[in-house]
Amino acid sequence: MSEERRARPDIAEMSGRPSLPRKSGELVFGNDWERRAFAIAVCLAEQGMFDWSEFQQQLIESVGEAERGDPQNPERGYYESWLMSLERLLARKQLLARPAP
Amino acid sequence: MSDHRHQHDSPPSPYHRSDRTEARNKELAARVEKIESLLIEKGLVAKDALDRIVDIYEHDLGPMNGAKVVARAWVDPDFKGRLLEDATAAIAELGFGGLQGEHMVVVENTPRVHNVVVCTLCSCYPWPVLGLPPAWYKDPAYRSRVVIDPRSVLAEFGTAVHDDVEVRVWDSSAEVRYLVLPERPSGTERLSEDELAKLIDRDSMIGVTTVAVR
Repeated sequence: MSEERRARPDIAEMSGRPSLPRKSGELVFGNDWERRAFAIAVCLAEQGMFDWSEFQQQLIESVGEAERGDPQNPERGYYESWLMSLERLLARKQLLARPAP
Repeated sequence: MSDHRHQHDSPPSPYHRSDRTEARNKELAARVEKIESLLIEKGLVAKDALDRIVDIYEHDLGPMNGAKVVARAWVDPDFKGRLLEDATAAIAELGFGGLQGEHMVVVENTPRVHNVVVCTLCSCYPWPVLGLPPAWYKDPAYRSRVVIDPRSVLAEFGTAVHDDVEVRVWDSSAEVRYLVLPERPSGTERLSEDELAKLIDRDSMIGVTTVAVR
């Protein structure tokens, strides 16, 4: 029997600036690394390595930084801010540093 | 389609671009690769789990949210009033958001009016409430024929609309996403909101069918 997995509404339906780029509902990834970065963050949250709200807060900050110069022309794209958020949260939680469980 | 002023499906947020140089992309890909391999090494993520997550989030959006919106409107006249007045805000009350600048408009079916939704140019769709559009919604045949001869198209979906009922066709766009509020079927007076929500399917909220008691 295949385990039932569903998209979490708090991730799939984030609103405002941190909302996931979509086209007709389907996620839009410009490059494969964007897809991988998306999956890594979601996977870690699903496993309880951090709370999704922590990642979302970090994402809001990263996206906010990117528009400091010109809100209509942010200095980096969505998934670049996403990756930066992931790196910062991993560092803060020391998830890459601590020994394997 | 780019010469058409009626914009469709364009991501309105400036963040949603990914126009980068090849070198920059390589650098970013390497950073992701590094995180991924470290996490795999530590046993914190598995490669196939990552693939499954992308698959789930790309495809697992169903019409359940829309059904909840409709069921609430059937049992709560005040909510229905707000829904018809400002659908985006009323839908947000139930915790469903995620649209990127588009407005939701709810059109109500009555004994005199039957509404049906299309996107004549592409496949604009109220995905936060209805999930992903069915294949036929994107089919050029549906998109053109439902405008020219909606009654025949509805008949093909098994929906007979009486001659004295007006059929209104709503064309979705990047700015406005329509959702049909179907009529509550008779014989459902005793059902709870949750039971009602189970009766409401995707097609009835696009307007190609009506809600029936199963």
